[in-house]
Amino acid sequence: MSLFRKLFLVDLIEGMKVTFGYQNPKYIYTEQYPKERPPVSERYRGAPRLNINPENGETLCIACDLCALACPENLIVVGWQRGGPDGKTGKKTLTNFTYDISRCMFCGLCEDACPTDALELTQDFEMANYSREGAIWDRQALEEGPRPTQYKE
Amino acid sequence: MPSTAQILDWLTIAKPYIIMGLVVAVWPLVSGYIVLMERKVMADMQVRLGPMRVGPHGLLQPIADALKLLIKEDIIPARVDKWVFWFAPVIPVLTALTAFAVLPFSQRYFVAELNVGVIFILAMTSIGVLGIMLGGWASNSSYPLLGALRSTAQLVSYEVAMGFAVVAAVMVAGSLDMVNIVKHQQASGVWFIFYQPIGFFIYLVAAMAETNRAPFDMPEAESELVAGFMTEYSGFRWALYFLAEYSNIFVVCSIATTLFFGGWLRPFPNVAWLNFLDWAPAVMLVGVGAGCLYLAGKQLSAANKIGMGVLGAAIIAVGLAFGVPMVIDYVSGPFWFLFKVAVMIYMFMWARFTFPRYRYDQLMQLGWKWMIPLGMANLLVTGVLILVKMQYWSAK
Amino acid sequence: MTEAETVYRPHPEDHTFLDSNEIVINMGPQHPSTHGVLRVVLRLDGEKIIGSECVIGYLHRGVEKIAENRTYVQFNPYVDRMDYAAAVSNSLGYCEAIEKIMSVVAPPRAQYVRVILTELNRIASHLLWLGTHALDIGALTPLFYCFREREEILKIFENYCGARLTTHSFRIGGLQYETYDGFEKQVNVFCDDFLHKVDEYETLLTGNRIWLQRTKGIGVISAEDCIQYGVTGPVLRGSGVKWDIRKAMPYCCYPDFEFDIPTGQNGDTFDRYIVRMEEMRQAVRIIKQAVAKIPDGPIMAKIPKVIKPPVGEIYHSIEAPKGELGYLVVSDNSTQPYRVRVRPPSFVNLSALDIMIRGHLVADVVAVIGTIDIVLGEVDR
Repeated sequence: MSLFRKLFLVDLIEGMKVTFGYQNPKYIYTEQYPKERPPVSERYRGAPRLNINPENGETLCIACDLCALACPENLIVVGWQRGGPDGKTGKKTLTNFTYDISRCMFCGLCEDACPTDALELTQDFEMANYSREGAIWDRQALEEGPRPTQYKE
Repeated sequence: MPSTAQILDWLTIAKPYIIMGLVVAVWPLVSGYIVLMERKVMADMQVRLGPMRVGPHGLLQPIADALKLLIKEDIIPARVDKWVFWFAPVIPVLTALTAFAVLPFSQRYFVAELNVGVIFILAMTSIGVLGIMLGGWASNSSYPLLGALRSTAQLVSYEVAMGFAVVAAVMVAGSLDMVNIVKHQQASGVWFIFYQPIGFFIYLVAAMAETNRAPFDMPEAESELVAGFMTEYSGFRWALYFLAEYSNIFVVCSIATTLFFGGWLRPFPNVAWLNFLDWAPAVMLVGVGAGCLYLAGKQLSAANKIGMGVLGAAIIAVGLAFGVPMVIDYVSGPFWFLFKVAVMIYMFMWARFTFPRYRYDQLMQLGWKWMIPLGMANLLVTGVLILVKMQYWSAK
Repeated sequence: MTEAETVYRPHPEDHTFLDSNEIVINMGPQHPSTHGVLRVVLRLDGEKIIGSECVIGYLHRGVEKIAENRTYVQFNPYVDRMDYAAAVSNSLGYCEAIEKIMSVVAPPRAQYVRVILTELNRIASHLLWLGTHALDIGALTPLFYCFREREEILKIFENYCGARLTTHSFRIGGLQYETYDGFEKQVNVFCDDFLHKVDEYETLLTGNRIWLQRTKGIGVISAEDCIQYGVTGPVLRGSGVKWDIRKAMPYCCYPDFEFDIPTGQNGDTFDRYIVRMEEMRQAVRIIKQAVAKIPDGPIMAKIPKVIKPPVGEIYHSIEAPKGELGYLVVSDNSTQPYRVRVRPPSFVNLSALDIMIRGHLVADVVAVIGTIDIVLGEVDR
């Protein structure tokens, strides 16, 4: 039997059958990415976003600085000031928020640390930029979502 | 005003030159499309799509590739042997294109009818290895040198096996002339593969090794030698090596078609009730055109949809033109020849994408310990059978 | 004298018929089949290898030093980036080591999810190995079939924790994420399909005469040599030593499952291939058992907000897809580890490369590098 297999190249022909069978177009697994957009999962950890309260348009961030402390790369800088009349007492309010996505490894620790669900990693995964400065997002970019550099036809 | 007879006369004289010019002008493009076919077949077998971005269904990819290679910077490394480095890629292209001269595309279309056609082609393909050797040597670098060493050993040893296989077929035909070999098959009504199955198998294996195709792609084994003898080449010179490789594949497939598959003959050329097969070129082209139209609907951008649609319509128009009885006579020969060659090339690709690569010493063992003895035995048996047949025949 | 020649020190037994035949060749760091940025300096007699030396460090990032400047929680994402083909295993090893030093045990549900994901990751890692190994030996197609199945696993990871490759899926003390709806179903569907796919790979490779010729008797390493060099994982088992940390020093909830440890006899490339193929099937077996009896309950143990393990040091090792992955953690009761030392399987296994390829041909070097299954991120750290 094994002589028969050897003599008539059965092992090779079996392999060729497998590759031949896969030529059926229904097995094609590739997606044509920019034209067909793959769905990413709900929990996808992509571009960061600072959520705002949809009712009054104010930021949900309470400037507690926990995300900046949790970040292994120290890439979050939270700018804040006291809301009181003298600027030294009263509630903390957010002034600026910078997030350097060029150093981010999307581990999700900032998201876990946030007590108010203000900072969130979204399903957006296109963050291309022509400059390094473009990868440092300020508060406006984080609230409005990413503005990827696009090739226009 | 020359008479019709004169024009025909001129045409007969000019025909080889016209075909020659056509081959030289069109072949680079055709080989580009063989590369595309290879990439598409590879993609299909590997559950991928292959090139899709340039043109409808990626059909303009070869042109884009050729343009890229043409305008690429011409790098000549500092310590190479400049003249040899410059000239080496030209040799395999030259020899491969010369071999085209004796390929009979049909009863009518060939450049030269040499009475030693087969030997001429074998000689030409053997000289091609010189280009690989010189390229590997001139590069003055370790990987190309190893590639060239492997290549030389491999090509020299498989040349022998290939020779035995070819000689067996030639013995059956009783002629070395490519056109005559096909005519013999027409006369006997049987393709020689049925007389020479083992010969064909040896030829197939040896041809794969000769053209450096996987599973015998030692000289350019990517995972071992980076790119073998081509490692230091780039741009257009690299493209020439590529062109030579695909020309060689076409040539060896053509020899196989001519020797074993009845060249330009349709299947069962002498069986009258199969005459409807003469319509095959028209039917197949219309089918391909319809396929294009079907794919046009699946294209993602409007330009590609239109392009694919126009292409499909054009192919259908040509196919219908081929259906005209007067034209059939002229196109069916080249059609069957090219169709068989395409199937052979497909076989090459199929094997390439299925099998792992032999190791260099195992390749040598296969060649010297199996292929050559098998070829000799095949030759012996063929000779004895022919002798017996002749004795029997003359006695009768 | 070139740099390559100074790096390489000849073996005393190396002498050839004609010394002028010797070529010193640099394989890598930019070579298609050194799996990243490994550089192997080969001394060749024609194509025969008479000596070799690995040059590593092109991907060194100082992960162990980074650990000393991060808190225990913050260091967790970094371990994913060592063996990026098996990020989940790395994470499991690190989290369990910290749990061990803190004397915390993850809840059963967390442990089961950990086992499922780790075994899926073992399959993904072996698939990556199989594809690239076959590609090195010249079979182009299995790579894409392997990546297709690997993609399914990565989709499960993405659905579970939001990342595909460097997952950061486990936390110290348990899990951050509860399983998603349809997790069990997706895993089961994958497992059922996958067994057929493994058979297909075997059709393409195991029976193939060229594959057999290329792998049988290549890169043989004896069991004694393996132990001498500290080689672990499938390479050790391929040489016939039945050593699997999941059985020998059980961790997580592996004692709850039935599975076999495949071993080879000859210690050649083919045996290691068979061992890994069988390991994928065994991983499917474990996953199916785990999915069937996954308990309910909490996914996070009670751990303090700020992790400050007591003073002490601990060594914890797990069976990563490539071998024994160990973490030595020294704590000084602060928020940051005093020292984290990683025992990466790839690094140790790579040291046996020289004795495995000596006397073989250049084509075998790539086969042996493939069969050791190294990930340079882990070798260089």
